[in-house]
Amino acid sequence: MLPTITVNDEKCKEPISCRKCLLICPTHVLGLGTDVGPQKFREIDPSHFIVRAVRFDKCSGCMDCVKVCPQNAIQLSFSGGDAR
Amino acid sequence: MCDWCEKYGDGYERWYFNPANYARRLYKIRKEEAEALGAEANPQAAGGMSVVGRDFLEARERGDMAEVERVKQQIESAMWLTHCGQVITLEEALKIVDIMYPISLITCTCRRSMEGLPDEENFTCMGMGAGMYKWERWPDTYRGGVHFLTPDEAKEVLAKLNKRGLVHSIYTFGTPYLAGLCNCDYPDCAAIRTVIDLGIKILWKGHYVAKIDPELCNGCASCVHRCQFRALSFVPSRNKAYIDQFQCFGCGLCATECDQEAITLVERASLPALANVW
Repeated sequence: MLPTITVNDEKCKEPISCRKCLLICPTHVLGLGTDVGPQKFREIDPSHFIVRAVRFDKCSGCMDCVKVCPQNAIQLSFSGGDAR
Repeated sequence: MCDWCEKYGDGYERWYFNPANYARRLYKIRKEEAEALGAEANPQAAGGMSVVGRDFLEARERGDMAEVERVKQQIESAMWLTHCGQVITLEEALKIVDIMYPISLITCTCRRSMEGLPDEENFTCMGMGAGMYKWERWPDTYRGGVHFLTPDEAKEVLAKLNKRGLVHSIYTFGTPYLAGLCNCDYPDCAAIRTVIDLGIKILWKGHYVAKIDPELCNGCASCVHRCQFRALSFVPSRNKAYIDQFQCFGCGLCATECDQEAITLVERASLPALANVW
């Protein structure tokens, strides 16, 4: 069963320095990306980094990412409903 | 025979020992092809360095093997043209740094993407060739900066990374242009993870297969944690390590850790059932 995992980017401000969810996930489901794409001659500002669930097939539904997020930015549910 | 050696070996023992595959001329071709494909791609934008979307995972989930196979082949054929790799041993990596120039130590984009690993802890990747001179054009790809290394310095770094337990592999950027010497581990290396978890072959097995001499193995199990490919386990009833040779990627990390010299690397080509298992 694949979960639905959403991250509220408004609440999740600087995941590259926080990274609590990335480190707590027992199966490394989450990944870090940017919302701006390639930027020639410019380092991307930390505020443009975003967290997304990628390896859905490895999510056990333990909810550790949801619990660890200091901003309450992650929602995770199986079968469409809000499991929180 | 290894497809890559067959196509790009040009008489050399391995395709990655053929200096032509590091040539600046190929780097320029790569640029043109990449631009033609519209692939000024920032891997980070994809998030978590994944080469598959949720669609693929859903097809797998519902057991639609025809769709899984279709997407798998589509990804593989695209990646084999643009960006794919092969596992190499430490010895081979040491030989490569004498062929290619310049060599630079850079931060690993996979680990940044999977762990958000700070730059100062993340210098495990090697970029090489003409493109590295222009690294400042892409400051985000090279977050943390670039250290250019002499071949001797590069060898020292490779030996240290091997000691830490990282697998060496060589990558194309516009095949057969070789420009990346990665030092990776499961699960945060996108290539290892994709091939192990999803069976999508963007990282090919190497030219060797590890073999244990049961007479010499003393059961210390110090090799077991070295395998990043789930090929190595421990058999308590025999008090010996066990290698699944069909799963072995031939990186040699288990062999470099064994005090008893109980693990040797055998040429894949010498084993009829494994000669074409890449």
